[in-house]
Amino acid sequence: MGCNRFVRTVRVIARLMTGLWLAVPLMAQTAVESRPYYDVTNEIAFSGTVSGVLTTAPPGMTWGSHLLVATIAGTIDASLGRWGLVGNEALSRINGKQVDVLGVMKRIDGRQVLLVRSVKVDGKIYVIRNTRGVPLSPQARERAVRKGEPL
Amino acid sequence: MSREFLCSILVILSSLALLTGCGSNPSQKPMVSITATKGSGQESLTSAAFASPLAAKVTTGGTPTAGVKVTFTAPSFGATGAFANGTATETVMTDFSGIATSSTLTANATEGSYSVSATVAGATTSATFDLRNATATFFSFYLNGLETIDNSGNLPSYYALAGSVAIDSSGNVVSGEQDYNDGFHVTSPQPGGDFILSGTLAVDANGQGTLTLITNNAALGSAGTETLGIQFVNANHALITQFDGSATSSGSLDLQTLPSAMSGGYAFTFSGVDSNYEAVAFGGVFSISGGTVTGKVDVNDAGIVTRADDLNGTVTTPDRFGRGQITGVSVNGILLSLNYYLVSPEAIRIIDVDDIDSAVGSAFGQGSNATAAGNGSLGKSVFGVEDNSWGSIYYAAAGILVPRAGSGTFTGVADNDEESTIAAAATISGTYSIASNGYGSLTITNAGLLDVTSFGLYATDPSLNLLDPNNTSGGGGVLLVSLDSGLEGGVGLAIPQTDTVTNSFKGSYAFGAQVYESAFLSGATGWEFDYIGLGSVSSGALTGTGAVNDTFGFFSSTSNLYNAAPFAGAITADTANPGRYTMVPLNITVGSESPTPFSMAIYQARGSALFWINEDSNSLSFGTLQQEPTAVRVGRNAKTEFRFNTRARAKR
Repeated sequence: MGCNRFVRTVRVIARLMTGLWLAVPLMAQTAVESRPYYDVTNEIAFSGTVSGVLTTAPPGMTWGSHLLVATIAGTIDASLGRWGLVGNEALSRINGKQVDVLGVMKRIDGRQVLLVRSVKVDGKIYVIRNTRGVPLSPQARERAVRKGEPL
Repeated sequence: MSREFLCSILVILSSLALLTGCGSNPSQKPMVSITATKGSGQESLTSAAFASPLAAKVTTGGTPTAGVKVTFTAPSFGATGAFANGTATETVMTDFSGIATSSTLTANATEGSYSVSATVAGATTSATFDLRNATATFFSFYLNGLETIDNSGNLPSYYALAGSVAIDSSGNVVSGEQDYNDGFHVTSPQPGGDFILSGTLAVDANGQGTLTLITNNAALGSAGTETLGIQFVNANHALITQFDGSATSSGSLDLQTLPSAMSGGYAFTFSGVDSNYEAVAFGGVFSISGGTVTGKVDVNDAGIVTRADDLNGTVTTPDRFGRGQITGVSVNGILLSLNYYLVSPEAIRIIDVDDIDSAVGSAFGQGSNATAAGNGSLGKSVFGVEDNSWGSIYYAAAGILVPRAGSGTFTGVADNDEESTIAAAATISGTYSIASNGYGSLTITNAGLLDVTSFGLYATDPSLNLLDPNNTSGGGGVLLVSLDSGLEGGVGLAIPQTDTVTNSFKGSYAFGAQVYESAFLSGATGWEFDYIGLGSVSSGALTGTGAVNDTFGFFSSTSNLYNAAPFAGAITADTANPGRYTMVPLNITVGSESPTPFSMAIYQARGSALFWINEDSNSLSFGTLQQEPTAVRVGRNAKTEFRFNTRARAKR
């Protein structure tokens, strides 16, 4: 699942900073997302410290749970979707911890949001979405285990 | 005294001694008795088998008597039944428990109540079984949503339910069949499905109430009893939601025309979860000839879109409930087990009954659009589309399409809510095409509706009413399936827009919606509530009451089912877009809570049919407003009228 991505922190943080820099002028443009919805070729990886955990989204924020991850480029809003913090094998007690995050930055309703595919914490990788960006439910995880398929 | 006199005295005294000494005579035989233990009080459809056999217990002096003959006897004429031997009489031996159990009793064709007796030699009385042969009206129902009964890690699962239920003139559920499937742990046994054993339809004078279904599947509802909230639009059609705390969902209940059979061309869509438990939606067209299915299918499977795959299968003959199977259907290499329920020859509910995936939807006849369709098959229309309950990104969209058939282009206005990203009254434009078999596509090319851009489009019979299949007006329309990555699971429809006059939007409306939400106050994990109701639109305002299923605690910190919840909202016509309205807010008041406001956008196809969505930062929905057709009510037959009045009395 690309654990080697996490070692490219400096390079991707540079890309992330570029993305945040570009965010300002993009706000004035029509929000047109390229197909597919989650483009794995645009994935970025970065490290940071969890500065906040939102179990439900405040108004105006993409639904589901969120991590606020403090990086050298600023705080990243990382969307975990509906199941990121619930169910068996879900992320827990993560506030204040150092994390490596993999995902795709999206502009949603004028906000830059990282759609998280995976989070690495305490040496363990938690898969949040599949390669098409579909959030993995506990049922999907169980089904994958039963089929012997990777998440 | 003479010797003869003395003898007479002795005989009398001896007789008296015998008579008075009965109770203490050890040689006296103990009393034999027989009682009915099972099967009494049943109701069966005429010419159908009773659900339970009859059982009687024989005791002798209070002790069960094994190995004695018990004779069951039904009336010889009138309303009656026949045992497996084809006659009204059957003799059965008691078992070691003293129980004699009859074979299956089948009601004859005469409606009415009667008694079956069970007798045994030596007993002075017989056992009696009170039975009834009933005629009934058949309704098909289907719905989908989120359940709580099979939660994994305390999370809900998607589920679908479809079935047929027979209801007698007093509102009693006589029998039925159904298929329930969450694609995870709870799937009705196949191929038979679940049996609906009994239940009650109880609605008030406004057609609002409950349908209780007692099934033989203890895993469903509350120990096998499902309760559906129900709002009749007219005598033949109702909006429904599961209403028993085991799940929340939205769907439809419709009068069945039976017997019927599938034949000719059909457009279809159905939606649910795939074998990976990710959202999936199917859409396409097929034709049936001699029971053989051939067609084309589009699939949006967790964002992987395939178009125009071959669709092949075989349709089995429907049973007396209009239930059958579509076998041999393979999509993307996955074999689907599909059951269907006929509403009519041109309206079919389809449910996927595999135990590793689940979906539900509809197929509608195509009529002339099966072979002679084209871009002209899509006229000016109002459309609506919504994710299923397991979609990756929840969204709901509705709007107006104004096609130009010659160029295959369209313009329009629409609203969309994608989990708090909202496009309101957005201008849309794009292209579309429809082939001669009714199979087509539509693309919004101006990015006016956020991520909603691409649809499969399938033309139906112009004589159909897609909302109310028993209604002869409606003008047909097209079915839609979302083909956008990220928006998998979305299906919808577009129906002709024939009246945008504001004054036509008035009177009594049944309404309902399937709502997805993010702000569950209870902290419970679940993202849906549903409502149905009846309201009146007058002087630009809606007032009504409804049933709200808040199983996942959106309105309050606890899970609740709310009856008679007030709905109220002021309607504002969008003068720039005739046929579009806003209702800001629609206030829904549940229990003792303060009114909760929702921002609604409404699109009018005609005065009797409107689509509405809510577009708020913490909730979104798609639903309909359907008008009570007064003309149909006046014209409905006496039996239907009686049923409504009986139910109304029963509820009071």
